[in-house]
Formats: sequence, C-alpha cells, structure tokens
Amino acid sequence: MEIAFWQILFLTVYAFVAQLDALSLQISLGNPLMAGFVTGLIMGNIPMGLTVGATLQLMVLGVATYGGATVPDFMSAAVIGTAFAIISGQDVEFAIGIALPIGLLLTQLDILARLSNTYFQHRADRYAEDGNADGVARMNLMGIIPWGLSRAIPVFLGLYFGSEVVKAITAYLPQWLMGGLKVAGGILPAMGVAILMRYLPLKKFYPFMIIGFVLAAYLKVSLIGIALIGFAVAAAYLFLKNELKPQTEGGDIDD
Amino acid sequence: MTDAKVEKKVTKRDLVSVFWRTILGLQMGWNYEKMQGLGYCFAIMPILKKLYKSKEEMTRALKLHLQFFNTTPAMAHLIVGADIAMEEEYGLANEDTISGIKTGLMGPFAGIGDTVFVAIYRTIVFSVASYMALQGNVIGALIPVIPAIAIWWVRYEFTIIGYEQGRRIAVGFANQLKQLTEGAAILGLTVIGGLAPAVVKANVPLVFKSGEVELKVQDMLNNIMPSMVPMAIVLLSYWLLGRKGFNSTKLIIFLLVLGVVLYNLKILG
Repeated sequence: MEIAFWQILFLTVYAFVAQLDALSLQISLGNPLMAGFVTGLIMGNIPMGLTVGATLQLMVLGVATYGGATVPDFMSAAVIGTAFAIISGQDVEFAIGIALPIGLLLTQLDILARLSNTYFQHRADRYAEDGNADGVARMNLMGIIPWGLSRAIPVFLGLYFGSEVVKAITAYLPQWLMGGLKVAGGILPAMGVAILMRYLPLKKFYPFMIIGFVLAAYLKVSLIGIALIGFAVAAAYLFLKNELKPQTEGGDIDD
Repeated sequence: MTDAKVEKKVTKRDLVSVFWRTILGLQMGWNYEKMQGLGYCFAIMPILKKLYKSKEEMTRALKLHLQFFNTTPAMAHLIVGADIAMEEEYGLANEDTISGIKTGLMGPFAGIGDTVFVAIYRTIVFSVASYMALQGNVIGALIPVIPAIAIWWVRYEFTIIGYEQGRRIAVGFANQLKQLTEGAAILGLTVIGGLAPAVVKANVPLVFKSGEVELKVQDMLNNIMPSMVPMAIVLLSYWLLGRKGFNSTKLIIFLLVLGVVLYNLKILG
C-alpha cells in the first residue's frame, strides 16, 4: 500500500509528542509498544503494530536512560519499522530488521538534542545574572524544540523519502538474510532480560529468578500469574525478615 | 529577615504547582553541562518568586538552583520538597546547606529510584504488557497508562513528604525505601525468571535419522529441561554484558549475527 501524507504527518506529530511524554508525564506514549500500536492503528494493521511494538519493547526492557545516558531510540524506530513493513506488505521480522539499525542510528540525534540544550542553559545563566526568573523559565521550555525535533524529523524524513527505497530493497533481499533476521528477532528479547539481570541484585536474590523460570517453563503459568506469585513471595520475605528482627537486634547492626 | 516571614508562607497551592512543574519541566532543558539543573530551577520557580522579592536575592537564588542536578525524576520531588521547607525557614542564609542537601541526596536517591522506578517498574509493567500485546491483545498496549498515572500520585506524595519532613528525609525515608526496594527486587527477579521462557523464541529444527528411527533434537532438549535454548541465550547475553567494553549496542549486533548464522547452519529456525 501507499502511505498517505496525512499518515506521515500524524506519525510525525506523534513522535514529537511521545518524546515529550517520555521526559515528563511518562504515560508511556514514548515506549516502543505504544509507538508500534499507534502506527498500526494509523496504517490500518493493528496486529502488526502490536507485535512489532511488543518485540522491540521486550528487547529494550532493561535499556533505560540511567543518569542521562543516551540509549537507542526504539520509539521512532518502532514507528518507521512498523510503517515500512505495512507499506511493503512484509512481515514482523522484516519490521524488526528495519527498526534495529534505525534505532541504533538515531542514538546520535538524542545526543544532538541534549547538546543543543546546552545553549539554552547558557542563555538561562545569563538571565539569572539579571535576576530574570521568567527568562530562565522560558529557556527550560525552549528545550521542548530540540527534544521533539530529534524524534519528529527522522520519522518525517524516513516515511516521506524512505518508502520507495525500502520497497526496492525488499525486492532483492535474499532468503538467507530474511530467514536469519526472523531467527534473530526471536532471540533478541534475551537482551532485555539480560540487561535487567545485570541491573537487579541477582547474586543476592537469584533463587527467586529460578522460581519464576520454573513457573513459566515447566508449569506454563502466564506472566501475570508469575507477577502475582512474585508479589506474594516478596511480601512473605519482608514479613519474615521483620518478624525475625527482634532476636538479632541485640547484636551489632549489620544492615 | 524574620519580620517578613508571615507573608512568605508557602501554601498548598504552591506545592501543587511545584509538583506539576517538576513532572512537566524537570527534564525539558536537560543538557550535558548541568543536566537537570535548568529543569530544577524551573520547577522551584513559584517558590523563588514568593520568597525573594529583591533583584539581588532572586539572582542569588536562580544561580543557586541552576547548578548541576541529576536524579531519577520521581525522586526529585522529595528533594525539591525538602528544599522548599529549608528555604521557607531560612531563606538563602544557608546557601551551602541547600546546595549540600541537593547534591548529597541526588546520588543516593538516584540509586534507589533507578532501581524501583525504572528497572523494576519497567520489568513488571512492560513484560506483562508486551506479553499481552504479543498475543494480539490491544489492552496490552494501553495497560501501562494505569500504573503511569499511579506514579503521579506517588510523586505528589513525595513532594508533600519532602516538604513536611524537610531535612530529615535524608535519613528516615531512605531507610524505609530500602526495604521496599528489596521487596520490589524479588518481585522483579521472579518476573524476569518467567520472562525468558515466555518471550525468547529459539526453536531447534534439527532432526537426526538413523534407519527408521527419527530423533528430534528439540524434543530431546525439552526432556532435559524446557526452554533450555532460550535460557542459554539469556545467560550468554548476561555473561557478555559483564565483560569489559561490551554494551547493549554490541549485544544487539552480536545477537543479529548469531541469529543469521544459526539459521543458515539450520540449528535454529
């Protein structure tokens, strides 16, 4: 199918707003899952959007900006990847294959936005010298422009100029690569899981991870069920820990 | 200085205003030089306007709050709340104390906040949501909105707690949060344990034939342990991430190549 101009425009505005949401209200517009869904909705293929969004979301589960570190932009990538797959009539694996390199590439624009804001910080410093509070406040709000554009521009350019290129490429993509990307799409969520394992106190609490694994792999409990069991186990742990505390309190506090 | 104190009272409305400004504005001016410094100054602005009427005072206050600041956005509310309480009482007399509390708290608070509000929050909310979405359920995409709005409430409470407890939050509240963090980590790790078999797809199509007997490798592996291959890939990724100089970008490339290679060797399909 062809992409209409209003669809390009809508997705461009969405990318702008979604990035601002990720920085402020965080009602999750800025996540790949929502980006895939919204794109699927606009392009008329919701199942595709959901699957692409969810797959990318699982990959980046642990990839979040800790302390302002720049991470790949999988929100914009989910928009472009989903749209291209629908335009060219390809499957989910194709969308993921497109989205991954785009997400990695867009890391640079995130850095550019953060760099551009330094200019507003300097302007604000000057306003502060004059005691101009409103000037300082205005400079903070100016940050909206680089932040929003860092997502809106690639989405617009990608969708406006990219669809013909993508169609041409897909016509020549060999089976060994397409099949390989399909397998890669299946194992890539391992990354999100692995990053989270690095971030959480795995060495101290690894037995709980084994519980989760057994519930899913052997007993086929759904993730919501596992989350409920995890909650119960965590509550029980804290309860028992507090119950046992009075006996140990006489000694040295090692907490 | 003390005679003017009555009219300088911070109202509930001011706190609500600061709460929204922190949510909406803390990260808008994020830059490499002062990070959330510009945003922090923006957030606390209504209080500065109320407390400091002279140009000299305002200049000092603006410069003080434009300094380097960076923490988990949700945790910033506790700090800004405590800051307001201090400035309401002492004004800019203790400039070093204000600066010290801000920089002293932002690090440890980010440690707790990144674990609770970023890592664990995302693990639980988005693994469940993505899992639903993968099954074609539209609710999966929309469900993260609900906990997100619950977090606003937490952030509002943090603003109030910070203001009411003032400087004491440094000790008391952080200890309470530590316990909560432990519980949340257990919940998070349980979900992660279930996540690998649920979402990592690695099917082995290899079949060995000897005469009439067909041996499907996948069935064999399942008899040893279900989801063995997905778990092995997760553990390999975990190990790789622990190596020096290895990051998530390299891991993406590694897994892409691994997928293509294993597909063409007909080990995975």
